Amino acid sequence: MRQSRCFPALLLFLLLTIPALPARAETIVRLQADHIAFYYDRFLVEADGHVRVSTSDGTTITGDTFSMDLKLNRFLIASNVRLTSPGGNISGAAIADFLDFNRVYFVPVIEKPDRWTFENGDYSKPLKGRQMPGDVFYFPDLHGTKVSLTAKSATIGAKSFVRFNGVTSYIFGAGAPLPSFYVYFGANPDMAVNSLAGANMDLTYNFAGNANSISAIHLRSDQQYGVYASFEQHIAGRNGYAVFSVNPGTKFDKFWSLVTDYRFGKRFQLNTYSQLFTAQKLFESPYASSTWSYATGTYAFPQSFLSAQAVFTNYNLLGEGLPKAAPATARHPSQMTLTATTFNHRIGKSPFYENLSYGIGFNNDSYGLQEYGGVTYKTIWNHTLGWTFSLPGFKFGDRDNGYRTYYFNGTYSRLYEWYSVPHYVVTTNTVGSVSRQFSKDVTAYASYGVVNTGDYYRKGGYVPPAQPPVIDGVPVESILAFRGVSTLRTFTLGGSYSTNPNFLATLVYQHHQDFPIPYPGLFQLPPLNNLGLPQYTNYLGQPPNNITGEVRFLAVPHLVLDISRSYYFNYGNLRWSPQTTVQVIAQ
Amino acid sequence: MRMIRFILPLTLIATMLGAAPQVSITGQLLAYQDGYVFFTSGNGFKVSPSLRVLDDATKKPATEQPKPRLFARAVFDDTGSVVELDLSQKPLPLEPLSPQVENYVVAASPSYPNPELSRPASKDTLPEMSNIPTSSGKKVLLNITVQVPPETPIGSQIYIATDTTGWNPQAIQLVRVDALHFRVVQRVAAGTILHYIYTRGSMATEERGENGLDIRPHAIVITDADVRAVNDVVYRWADQVTTNGTQIQPNTAPTPYNPAPFPNLPSSIPTPRCCPSGS
Repeated sequence: MRQSRCFPALLLFLLLTIPALPARAETIVRLQADHIAFYYDRFLVEADGHVRVSTSDGTTITGDTFSMDLKLNRFLIASNVRLTSPGGNISGAAIADFLDFNRVYFVPVIEKPDRWTFENGDYSKPLKGRQMPGDVFYFPDLHGTKVSLTAKSATIGAKSFVRFNGVTSYIFGAGAPLPSFYVYFGANPDMAVNSLAGANMDLTYNFAGNANSISAIHLRSDQQYGVYASFEQHIAGRNGYAVFSVNPGTKFDKFWSLVTDYRFGKRFQLNTYSQLFTAQKLFESPYASSTWSYATGTYAFPQSFLSAQAVFTNYNLLGEGLPKAAPATARHPSQMTLTATTFNHRIGKSPFYENLSYGIGFNNDSYGLQEYGGVTYKTIWNHTLGWTFSLPGFKFGDRDNGYRTYYFNGTYSRLYEWYSVPHYVVTTNTVGSVSRQFSKDVTAYASYGVVNTGDYYRKGGYVPPAQPPVIDGVPVESILAFRGVSTLRTFTLGGSYSTNPNFLATLVYQHHQDFPIPYPGLFQLPPLNNLGLPQYTNYLGQPPNNITGEVRFLAVPHLVLDISRSYYFNYGNLRWSPQTTVQVIAQ
Repeated sequence: MRMIRFILPLTLIATMLGAAPQVSITGQLLAYQDGYVFFTSGNGFKVSPSLRVLDDATKKPATEQPKPRLFARAVFDDTGSVVELDLSQKPLPLEPLSPQVENYVVAASPSYPNPELSRPASKDTLPEMSNIPTSSGKKVLLNITVQVPPETPIGSQIYIATDTTGWNPQAIQLVRVDALHFRVVQRVAAGTILHYIYTRGSMATEERGENGLDIRPHAIVITDADVRAVNDVVYRWADQVTTNGTQIQPNTAPTPYNPAPFPNLPSSIPTPRCCPSGS
């Protein structure tokens, strides 16, 4: 109970105390104008009327019109320009600042117009008459480009972010007022790491941020929780990041997450992922609470790497016997693994590649992990050894004609797992595929894969039940032949059609011929995720045939719709997948 | 009367043939102030006190004043002053200056070459400036093909996250070509410096380096061409760096230890036993 109360505070404390690493000194441009427009498609900020720009070097410029290409990292102020700098005050017709190159190009109007260039922020020594780049005062062509938002002021961090205030945001042509809006356009993907589960729709409102942080509210919808809001805070630096979130923030069930990553030099990296689950109204005492944490450290060697992972789980933080507490297992297992993996190496001069892995693992739960031979195993050790052979992209057919060339890809992998409980598991995965591009728009492939999993005990093992299980009054005899070995054979035929980069349609047919033989209702189907899709793919009892269609297209600029659905050919009562999956994705 | 009918057209034709053609340029306005008009070329021209401001389409007096972003045709008199400005909201060609108009440009200081604009790079040129190729901005077909690791789950979808899409991990979906290859074609403006990484739909499944560590995003400069082809290799996925570790699923507690490698055995199958009669 105390733990569950303290955990959010601990997460917040960690978040606030994680040092946001200083990014390199960046130029900040503060812009005010009567009308500011942002064109998200092209990362353009355009402003007109009483333009006032102040930069972080102490310079202030006023004028009638402002234009900035955020990607090119340069801005232009034109008409009735007044430059106020430590070097003095000058009036002119236009000024352009190429921030990447520390060059300012100016057209002063004193007695006559002139052309001056300022270097490295020194406004006291103009280079008078020096030629300028030809497009230095060009405005972008905005015809056919739609305004994404308008604002009263903007703060621009060179090559990283822009934050608008007094915003009217336009979606489908309708304007919605917002107090602020933040857009990150820098080159650090760590700023986009999120800790939220998948959703059918996620409208993200970045309401605050700078070059190293983003504060966001997400309006989301998924099949488990319906419509809800969540909060997420991102902090990222040059060598690491931290992300904190509460999701769903407006529902009884809440997941408090903290994701961190730090790179120590060029060889070592540490990642953590921690979640606290609480079932509670706002900040009242929770009815249920649990927590789990993953920590992964990776150390790189010249031709291999070592990876250590620890997982700690506590399924019930509230303790037993509390009147409010929902029943939950008191187990709190821990797991640790250490794995060494080699790089992919080409085998001689052949077209084949191989890699190897070896690992050691430790599992513990004081409540016991497995009963076998009259012994309760609370700790189980295991060793793993695996290898993979692959043949990527072997060409055959008419190699001179790209539309008549076939590609063969093959992969064979085998993984052995030995346990301190006297049994071992062997998993063999073999996949081969042939593909061809038929035209500019059409691609097709066929693949056949076999996954064989055997669980072998030194003594005993899997024993079939005395009587076959009865499903809907029908005894299912086939499962009686199961002795701990499964074979999943999958034939896949897939094709895609894409006429342009904004439209993609795919159709995939799969045929399974598995053992144990699937029978409707015999196997528990895997739990579904928030999108209504199975949480894992290789499972027993897959419908023998299914066909899945998916269409993905750009609905409006920066918004993609993805619609998919599967048909199961009357497997039991299953025809169509439970629902059409629709995702709205910001692009 | 007949003579007059005959002489008048002749006089008119003679006048037209004899008159010097008016010199003009077109372009986009940068500023109109202090007795000068400036185009986005940066050139400033003196404006005549008797300037006529017309609408370029109708040739009638314009309803708005010259201001930045408008397009305009400037007509010069013999002294090089602008006597007429024809304004247009529609783009007019940005014409190079004729030698005659170049003489009309007003500049207090004589122009001299800028070593930073010359190539190849000299010691006075910033290295980063000398290496930047000029680009037309035209749309280039970018064809990206990626080979994924053999361990990639067969049902996976592959995406590209880019700095132009806010690093959304599902921004651009690739088409499966075969078991190990995916492809996408995008139109990207020449001159774009594109940073991107591959994902399987989330940043938890982003690509990792061959050594299992985070990588810097791929970066390509889109130069002027009709088509640009890029071939990449993804060596590992972030969630597969530990081969026998538990997979992280947001909002899902780790599955309790399961000694059987079959996650969904029917409940009618008993757990493995030591001996036929034992536990």
